[in-house]
Amino acid sequence: MATEPQTAAGQRPVEALAAKLRRRQVVGSRETALETVLVLRQVVTKARFQNINQLVEIIRSVGQKLIEAQPKEHTVGNTVRKLLHHVREEYNNASKGEATTSASSFSIANFVLQGQPRRQAAGQKAESTLVLKEDDSDDPDSFARTLKPVVMEAIQDILDELETVYDNIAKSAKDHIHSDEIILTIGRSKTVETYLKSAAHYHKFTVIVVESGPSYGGHDMACSLSSSGVSTFLVPDSSIYALMSRVSKVILGAHTILANGGMFAVTGSVLTATAARAHSTPVMVCAGQFKLTPLWNLYHEYGALDFADPGSVLGFEECDLVDKVDVVNPYYDYVRPDLVDVYVTNDGDHPPPSIYRLVKESYDDEDNEF
Amino acid sequence: MPSKPSTSKDIPEEEEAEVLQAVILADSFNKRFKPLTIDRPKCLLPICNTPLLDWTLEGLALAGVQEIFVICRSHPEQVKAAIRNSKWSHPSSGLKIVPVMTAKETFSPGDAMRDIYTHGIITSDFVLVSGDLVSNIRIDEVVRAHKDRRKVNKDAIMTMVVKESGTTHRTRSKGDSAVFVLDQDTSECLHYEPVTGYPPKSIARIPRDILESHPNIEIRNDLLDCSIDVCALEVPSLFQDNFDYGDIRRDFVHGVLTSDLLMKNIYCYVAKEGYAARVQDTRSYDAISKDILSRWTFPLVPDDNLPGGYAYDHLRGNKYIPKDNSVVLSRLGDGAQVVASTLGARCSVGPDTVLRNAYVFDDVTIGPNCVLESCIIGAGVQVGERSRIARGSLLGPGTVLMPFERVSRRKQKSVPVIGEPAEEDDDGDDADADSELEEAEKNQRSISQNLGPGSDAFVWPRRAIARKGDEEGYENELENFNNWRLMRLGDDLTDLLPSVTSLPAASAAATVSAGEQEFQIEVRLSLERAFSEGHSLDNASVELKTLRMASNVPLRRVREAVVAGIVENIPLVEDAVPQRTEINKWVDRWGDLINLIGGVDGVETVSILQYHCASSTRFPLFGQILAALYQNDIVEEEDIQNWHAKPEAKGEGNVQKTWIVGARMIHQLNEQESDDESEDSE
Repeated sequence: MATEPQTAAGQRPVEALAAKLRRRQVVGSRETALETVLVLRQVVTKARFQNINQLVEIIRSVGQKLIEAQPKEHTVGNTVRKLLHHVREEYNNASKGEATTSASSFSIANFVLQGQPRRQAAGQKAESTLVLKEDDSDDPDSFARTLKPVVMEAIQDILDELETVYDNIAKSAKDHIHSDEIILTIGRSKTVETYLKSAAHYHKFTVIVVESGPSYGGHDMACSLSSSGVSTFLVPDSSIYALMSRVSKVILGAHTILANGGMFAVTGSVLTATAARAHSTPVMVCAGQFKLTPLWNLYHEYGALDFADPGSVLGFEECDLVDKVDVVNPYYDYVRPDLVDVYVTNDGDHPPPSIYRLVKESYDDEDNEF
Repeated sequence: MPSKPSTSKDIPEEEEAEVLQAVILADSFNKRFKPLTIDRPKCLLPICNTPLLDWTLEGLALAGVQEIFVICRSHPEQVKAAIRNSKWSHPSSGLKIVPVMTAKETFSPGDAMRDIYTHGIITSDFVLVSGDLVSNIRIDEVVRAHKDRRKVNKDAIMTMVVKESGTTHRTRSKGDSAVFVLDQDTSECLHYEPVTGYPPKSIARIPRDILESHPNIEIRNDLLDCSIDVCALEVPSLFQDNFDYGDIRRDFVHGVLTSDLLMKNIYCYVAKEGYAARVQDTRSYDAISKDILSRWTFPLVPDDNLPGGYAYDHLRGNKYIPKDNSVVLSRLGDGAQVVASTLGARCSVGPDTVLRNAYVFDDVTIGPNCVLESCIIGAGVQVGERSRIARGSLLGPGTVLMPFERVSRRKQKSVPVIGEPAEEDDDGDDADADSELEEAEKNQRSISQNLGPGSDAFVWPRRAIARKGDEEGYENELENFNNWRLMRLGDDLTDLLPSVTSLPAASAAATVSAGEQEFQIEVRLSLERAFSEGHSLDNASVELKTLRMASNVPLRRVREAVVAGIVENIPLVEDAVPQRTEINKWVDRWGDLINLIGGVDGVETVSILQYHCASSTRFPLFGQILAALYQNDIVEEEDIQNWHAKPEAKGEGNVQKTWIVGARMIHQLNEQESDDESEDSE
């Protein structure tokens, strides 16, 4: 198989990233997504392939390795899915849609999976001048030569999107936040931080930052906001409910947006969202589209499937307790879709029930599982 | 711990010229895990289904170590094969792992270090760990701190990693721990006092000069020794020079710190974050397994970054189920209970069986209605139905137990450890193991009737192991039988612990330690010999000096002893005049000894004399003795005046009376002087 030599060549950066992911040296949804794109770029640059299947196979195998290394950073998989989607789109455009890669048969199961019809029409506007010669025995590199620049362009697009994601989300900030509002947020989310700061240019409002133990990201958030002139309060997690009646809007960040419209977010989010529901306070979630994940939360009702060490809750030196108490310290909460009112993304605002459509449009169905 | 990517990026740039090396001592040099280690080296025993060596390698890889030497002694071919087949030997792992075989005669870590020296493989500062380390500590930070220190102080040869854990932490070994004396400002380790669990240690002796020279010190008995050392190049050569160093802590660290000649410093790194511990014995095996399961080792946890490469799903209540279903729930029979235990691959557990704190290796079959508690079950063991395996049992690999067996400490008092030869013929070169097996087989005839018929097992002799440990000499104090029990899984120590706790607090607080008492007895005897046999002053003083060096006591103690010896030997006579001649005779003959023992300090001499006389029957003689000392120029007039001026000389009771005597004497001396002066002037 021709894929063998080039996988070996492109192996090193993949392994390095896999090791970093496994050791949690790269954390955070945007960081991991960025690193993944960079690795994919390296792999595709070195890759040798003769037809679309080989290229897809190479990218998939990289994705498989990275996801296996860290199944809990969902943006890794999302980035790979997105690239595959772009690659297929470009290929389909180039070959004028004469053959779709997936031989779709119309069974009932597929029908359900298929959901809404694809936005195939959008692809036709770009008149392709590429001439693709697959499996050309005279010139095995011809296919790669023609397709590679297009793929690299697609990777660059993804990279650009990641780099500008905060600003793009923040564009709509002035329309969502009004003067004299009291906004509550929890922990530190870079997206929310940029969002609030951008809104602060237009309006005067107050932000209550919940510190979010045991990571206490709220401390940094409060410092950062107040240093850029936003009137900020820092409160402990325990006072969320008491303060909620005064809050006009809750803005949360997300780690991952799930296909059912729920999300994984920093610990304490579900508490905040539930308190907001009790007071009928609107809950807004700011997140980039790269956080959309074709997954459901299957395991825990409230927690995401990712637990950190108990060290930040219970000191290792508390010897008697260590022996008798098991401390559960989840990284993320699972917030049910009915607790969220709107997702503000870099591609417009969406209510939770329509997230599944975004997921469908962003990724190809065959990539949902690697 | 998730850390900033920037920190991990900095290191390779900084140390591009130097490859960071690590040495793994992949042998425990003790027999605490026998019979599990009969046909497998200890570093390949699984903990949470991953060989210990993999944990160690992952810990080092995390720290950015590039070259690793694995020192293996027992079953080296297995260790080599394990390294070859692991993911670490893959070129993309970025590690270079070199197994180094050492001779069978390597009996201690010290021997291994000498071996490293002779091989000459180390080129720069290196990380020294043992092959049973479970760690997620950022060792690279320790290395950086060590190198920074080395730039300033060339004598900082070693940095030990310790972790705050509290005295009774489950992971901290009860049998083998230590008291660290640290400088609070520089975290230099000033003194290392090894602590043995049995016989219980109640006194830690700290040299006085440490207290004098360091204003801020910490004396800590709550540190968990992670046995991660960052060593300078000199360390192996120091082992080479001191051929009797065996253990790295008890001999090397203690030796270096107490040596007057080496002038080397050892530092400690008190890890605030991260986890590191050594599987030194079956008890810590139990504790570390639990730590891993309750995620203290995060991100090295079964559902995340388990070094062995198995993947598990994490469920509520810290349950871990393998992703590839190699231990399927359905294979656990109905009503089976598994609590705080680990099961290896391809295990099956019968219905209504209870496993509690049981650590089961691969390919084990456990029948229905069994109860297994606090035990380690080796690979391939078959346990028949209704068997009971009680606390602290270790079942060797391949043991077959027939139905209705009971392996318990209560029933077979001395020997709960079961082993099985596992067809040892292929391992014929391992004479050590063979002889032990033979010994075991000899013993078993007497005990085997306790096991059910048809069992392919015999009882592993425990006494024999303990005795062997004694023969090895260097670990004598550690490997005694009762200390062993402190390190053993499932031993509740009901008969040992009360004796430990019932130690009267007063004895711990006693100021005069055993060593000093011994010294005082010796000094008294030697003085008596000198007095009665009429030794020369030189000989007597040499003898005293040697004694002082041998028991390492301060000079004042010797002076006290000599003064006391002289005073007590002056015969008591009724009349004043003969008494004076007696005193003069003794002081003439022996008085100079006070100043010959090393250093002249008249003030001290007088105050010693004062305190001694105050509490002795020779109290009335104080004035005369002092006068005699003055006559013989052993103390000067100035000394008496200085002594008299000191506030503590005043005292109460008899002490005060002596002070008044002294005052009178000074008065006389002054008068004499004025007489002299007046004579001179005439």
